[in-house]
Amino acid sequence: MQIYLPIAELSMNLFFLVGIGGAVGFLSGLFGVGGGFLLTPLLIFSGVPAPVAVASVTGQVVAASTSGALSYYRRGQIDLHMALYLVLSSVLGAFGGVATFAALRSIGQLDLVISLGFLVLLGSVGTLMMIESVRAILKRRAGIVVREKLPNQHNWFHGLPMRVRFKKSRLYISVLPVLVLGLCIGFIGSLLGIGGGFILVPALVYILRMPGNMVIGTSLLQVVAMMSATTILHAVNSQSVDILLAFCLMVGGTVGAQFGASAGKYLRGEQLRALLALLVLAVAVRFGFSAIVGPSDPYSMAVVGLGGVP
Amino acid sequence: MRLLAAAILLFALVLPAQAERLVTMVSRDEVAITSSFSGETLTLFGNIEPEAGSTQKYVEGPYHIIVVVTGPWQDRVARLSQPVFGIWMNTQQVLFKAFPSYYHVLSSAVLTDITSEATLDELDILPADQAALAAQPGKGDPKVLGTELIRLMTEQGHVGVNPTGVVFRSDTFYAAQVSLPSDIPTGPFLAHTYLFKNGALIAERSEGFTVRKIGFERFLGQASTGQPLLYGLVCVALALFTGWLGGVVFRR
Repeated sequence: MQIYLPIAELSMNLFFLVGIGGAVGFLSGLFGVGGGFLLTPLLIFSGVPAPVAVASVTGQVVAASTSGALSYYRRGQIDLHMALYLVLSSVLGAFGGVATFAALRSIGQLDLVISLGFLVLLGSVGTLMMIESVRAILKRRAGIVVREKLPNQHNWFHGLPMRVRFKKSRLYISVLPVLVLGLCIGFIGSLLGIGGGFILVPALVYILRMPGNMVIGTSLLQVVAMMSATTILHAVNSQSVDILLAFCLMVGGTVGAQFGASAGKYLRGEQLRALLALLVLAVAVRFGFSAIVGPSDPYSMAVVGLGGVP
Repeated sequence: MRLLAAAILLFALVLPAQAERLVTMVSRDEVAITSSFSGETLTLFGNIEPEAGSTQKYVEGPYHIIVVVTGPWQDRVARLSQPVFGIWMNTQQVLFKAFPSYYHVLSSAVLTDITSEATLDELDILPADQAALAAQPGKGDPKVLGTELIRLMTEQGHVGVNPTGVVFRSDTFYAAQVSLPSDIPTGPFLAHTYLFKNGALIAERSEGFTVRKIGFERFLGQASTGQPLLYGLVCVALALFTGWLGGVVFRR
């Protein structure tokens, strides 16, 4: 069944849209990430104009993260105080990201920056995750009991000025690393059209030493808030949010996420992380391929504006 | 010499045999885009008749028709990607200002059989002529990138040259099928018809039609540009609601 997308100005199969929303939602429920880094390239590959794909996926990420964030909130596993600092700084970062997005588009190097950004980001995060999870799996095989790192070990930047007490996370650290982290996530997320959950989660664990039970919930809330702001920014700036496209993806995504979450119970944490690392690396290779081997067609075109009288 | 030219002109004016006119019509003057829109085909038809007021009863061919269907203008760029130190990046870029988003040439025969290349050039009928007109000076070869732009848009179905697109149903009555793909841009379209006889242009006529969204799609399109902040807020509210609902429905 074809459905006409009024902002993308093309018609697509409704079941295809709900289907890819569901498939990516399943993965996002399974791994606890937003799934934007999979959905945006998939849509662009299906013929949706890149600005519409990036902007509409932000809407879908909001929906996919909301149900998760709510259930963590009910269980009291969100550090609202920490989330507030992260959200405020990431919204600032998002302003910078959206502006950079527009500037790169006008000089015609947006595709390259997106490709290289995904390659570097996903490549490094995927490799780190892979090494960590394979080590954990091998240790478990060998029968070694893995001792969790103590959350309260401090790094030098925890002692910077402007210390704040985060009661829920049992942390008394400087807010500066928190704000810098938020700025970076906001900038990268809005530039690449991803929620950044897969960067934020390791950063909260390894850099800020947040307790494990608070990490996922806080990260999800941060993604919801930041992506809500980014959706509005894109709607106002480029007017490229297609609400029908986003809605089709949301419906598939929220349903898929529930199945993914229940499927996740049958896999152990390090196995899940290894699978996610594989997925992240696969997307990185895909982007690296186009940047190094070159596109199948060296010529490309893009609409840059409505034409006036010549 | 001047006298001769004046004589020819006078002769042309009084000669009734050459006076044909075109009567054209589009099957619909508005294409409405609804939620189930998946492309549409319009029929353009017309008849060749003696000029109004002439005493002539019939016209004699053979005639040839070229129809050029032009969609709303857009600013478009074409880019060439080349490896720079091992990394592929866009090295050439040419802006085509006010380039038609849809450009189809339909004709009753191969264009060069209908008229001379000089006439085709003068009328800017070929897509390449349109690219040459719209190209702005920039970093890159406008001719090469123009050709590639035409190729890319042809692959997309937005540009085309079809020498069998116009079919004569009788000596003077013709019909042309214009196919609009599902990703057609919205706005005003123009169908310009040229009538040729023995390689000379003897009449031309324009018909317009509009492609526009109606109903809910139109409402959404207008809301996104007219009230972008409100539109964005509604998107976010919808996303939050859908996420919440999903959590409630599936909670066990």
